[in-house]
Amino acid sequence: MAGIEVSGVARAFGDVHAVRDATFTVEPGHVAGLIGPNGSGKTTLLLMLASLLRPDAGTIRVAGFDPVTDPAEVRARMGWMPDLLGSWASLTVREALVTSARLYGRSTDAARARADELIGLVDLDELADRPTRVLSRGQKQRLSLARALVHDPEVLLLDEPASGLDPVARAGLRALVRRLASEGRTVLVSSHVLAELEEMADQAVYLSGGVTAAADEIARAARTARDWRVRSLDPERLRTALDAAGWGEVARIDNLGAIVPLATEEDAAQLIAHLVGAGVPVSSFAPAVGDLEHVFLDLSRNGEEDA
Amino acid sequence: MTGFLQGLWLVVTLDLRQRVRTVAWYVLLGVFVVLVAGVTVLLVLATNAFLDGGGGVFSSIVFFVLLLGTLVSPALSANAINGERDAGTLATTQVTLVTTTQIVLGKWLAAWITALAFLAAALPFLVFAVTLGEVPASTIAVSTLVTALELGVVAAIGVGLSGLLNRPLFSVAVTYLVVAALSIGTLIAFGLGGASVQSEVRSVNHYVDWQVVEEDGVPPGEEPPCLPPQTWTYDVPRFDHVWGFLAANPYVVVADAAPASFDSSGTPTDLFTWIAVGVRQSQHAPELEVEYDECANWTPNGAVIDDDTETPEAVYERSVPSWFVGLAIHLLLAAGALVWAVRRTATPAQRLPRGSRIA
Repeated sequence: MAGIEVSGVARAFGDVHAVRDATFTVEPGHVAGLIGPNGSGKTTLLLMLASLLRPDAGTIRVAGFDPVTDPAEVRARMGWMPDLLGSWASLTVREALVTSARLYGRSTDAARARADELIGLVDLDELADRPTRVLSRGQKQRLSLARALVHDPEVLLLDEPASGLDPVARAGLRALVRRLASEGRTVLVSSHVLAELEEMADQAVYLSGGVTAAADEIARAARTARDWRVRSLDPERLRTALDAAGWGEVARIDNLGAIVPLATEEDAAQLIAHLVGAGVPVSSFAPAVGDLEHVFLDLSRNGEEDA
Repeated sequence: MTGFLQGLWLVVTLDLRQRVRTVAWYVLLGVFVVLVAGVTVLLVLATNAFLDGGGGVFSSIVFFVLLLGTLVSPALSANAINGERDAGTLATTQVTLVTTTQIVLGKWLAAWITALAFLAAALPFLVFAVTLGEVPASTIAVSTLVTALELGVVAAIGVGLSGLLNRPLFSVAVTYLVVAALSIGTLIAFGLGGASVQSEVRSVNHYVDWQVVEEDGVPPGEEPPCLPPQTWTYDVPRFDHVWGFLAANPYVVVADAAPASFDSSGTPTDLFTWIAVGVRQSQHAPELEVEYDECANWTPNGAVIDDDTETPEAVYERSVPSWFVGLAIHLLLAAGALVWAVRRTATPAQRLPRGSRIA
């Protein structure tokens, strides 16, 4: 099995350069988060991977095949969940899934069996024989996920899969994505909800202004100072202790406690040792933002400075 | 494992299932049946069909079906591709193993089958017209078949335009314009074209001097008294230069394709034949030197015989049929629209219309 390989890919629409230079690899068995601000080219990149859009430059391999020259081979191995929710309005959930499986060349019997299996998997049993137009946004999202899985693909491209899902469905999605990866599939997930990706993805592709961040940029961004949130049962003691240790200048105090920018994990370890040593009743000591968000924010900040 | 036809049929059934499950579609079909029934009753009364046979009724119903079919078909076919793109279901079909060709052709077949349902709904009335008698089997077969083909052409143009244009509303409107251009535009082009190219006719007339005949009488066996020849000129439209426009009219195609049927005196017995005669009449150039000689046609009993009126049948017989030219033009137009739509909808897409999303 081969995963996803993207090298030097660019795509412009007229004079809008949606993707300028995307390069990354996702190995089988891994879940990669595709992270970037609005309009950074995430959906365009996914459309190129999904064999719907021809790149202007660069090469793409999905499951070992080039979507430009071998779209049929790619499509047989790739499942795509679009960000735009569409469903055949007058077909029932079951019929929609059976039809999708038939469009992938499955026999009627195999398609029926697969549809039943997926309806259970995405928890749409009660709605299986209702027309898809009565589904809510989150339910449509689950149907869309089921459709992407209908031909048991080895590469999955999920564009904003969590949007519109309730917390239970989100947890289900996380577990499902992790399980699919553990079966040796390759998953690329784009999302705005970084906390969501944090728990699903084991690697990240940062896309900003149509350019993927290089590994050394990411490493550098990960090393920059980040905010830590400190909570204490006694805010006054916390403030005094921070002043005494020389953090009073940079710390921001609010009604939840304090936010302290720290350069490294070592600094964080020193600070908490100090606070505890000074007798401050610390109830919580954690990074204010997740790893992905930290890198993402830092990269976007640098992007703006460069521009 | 997915044969081309299997995938094609899958797209057809998917499209039909979505169409057939809307109430609006059945309402439309019901309104259509009521209209055809009303028209049939009026036609029977108007043409005295119980005595003269059902030829007139049959041909009029076929035209009515063609009229309503071409009015309904654009609305049902011209949003097939861009409508699905708007609904977000086109891209999810395109990432499966069916090809763009299968998708476009499948949608066309589905739109055609939908239009044929209208022809099928009119079938009882056509059968009724046939039972009135005097409708040859060849007319039934040919006119129904050509009408079905014309509905397929409209469906193809609609589906083709829905692949070329971005907005469903726009492609439906353009399809209506194409249908109007073929149905009415060709008539306008024919009428105005013929009228704008005029030729001068020189007419020479030899009249009998009726005043002398009145006063003196003409003894049997003698020449009548003649006036000196009079000459004048006037302009006539040259429809023979522009009759080709009519060939592209779908109604003319149906009428001209149906075998002609005349009664014993050479007069057409159905609408198809009347139209065919009219179109074929206009193929012939008008005579630019007309001579009318009343004296030569003088008969001893005093009457003037008019000898050169041609029956419609004779005109029909000495002209060339044009329906296959028109039908060929229509089929080419339809095939062109579909091929172009396939190329514009093909993935991975090279270019996108401005402001459109592929998904």
